Amino acid sequence: MKRNNKNKKRSTNSLTKLSLFQKNDGKFSRKCPLSIKNAPVVDYKNIDLLKRYVSDNGKILSSKVTSVSQNKQKKLTREIKRAKILGLL
Amino acid sequence: MAFYENTIIAKQDLAEKDLKIVKDKYNELIKKFSGKVIKIEDWGLLNLATRIKNYKKGFYIHYKFEGNNETLKEFEKKIKIDGSIIRYLTVKYKKLDTENEFFKKDKSINEKKQ
Repeated sequence: MKRNNKNKKRSTNSLTKLSLFQKNDGKFSRKCPLSIKNAPVVDYKNIDLLKRYVSDNGKILSSKVTSVSQNKQKKLTREIKRAKILGLL
Repeated sequence: MAFYENTIIAKQDLAEKDLKIVKDKYNELIKKFSGKVIKIEDWGLLNLATRIKNYKKGFYIHYKFEGNNETLKEFEKKIKIDGSIIRYLTVKYKKLDTENEFFKKDKSINEKKQ
């Protein structure tokens, strides 16, 4: 039993990787920041939120970088484009 | 009947009187064509992120209203002719939230009221 526990701990820690092809779990898998409880409203008027998901050149950041869920990323892009039409972003 | 949100950007060099005229004009236009104005928000003078028709700033007026197809058609028809408006955007909603205001001018006054 003791051995089993040790193995489990090892697998969760991403720094102790055995091979290159082992999955790097725990380190990069963040939960979507827009689907938690009491998450901020995704709306074209909420510029402070939208600014976080736009690069300095005004490009929309990919969900790989920001770890936003697929559903919310669709809404984000729609609202960002609306804000750009109105000259808010 | 559906709910709509409409924002229009008026030119920067309008006088205060002209702004009020623009604001009331569209308010009455919605009422005329079987619509119902729920809320009007005045966002004030804001900087534009990019130049629109060579203007750097603009007055934002935000309408929340209930209406049908005809009200929207007439509304957008009048905006396109209007020379004092640079740009507009209409968004259709199933539900409107009238509580959240993202562009409050002076928060101190609102807090005192509460």
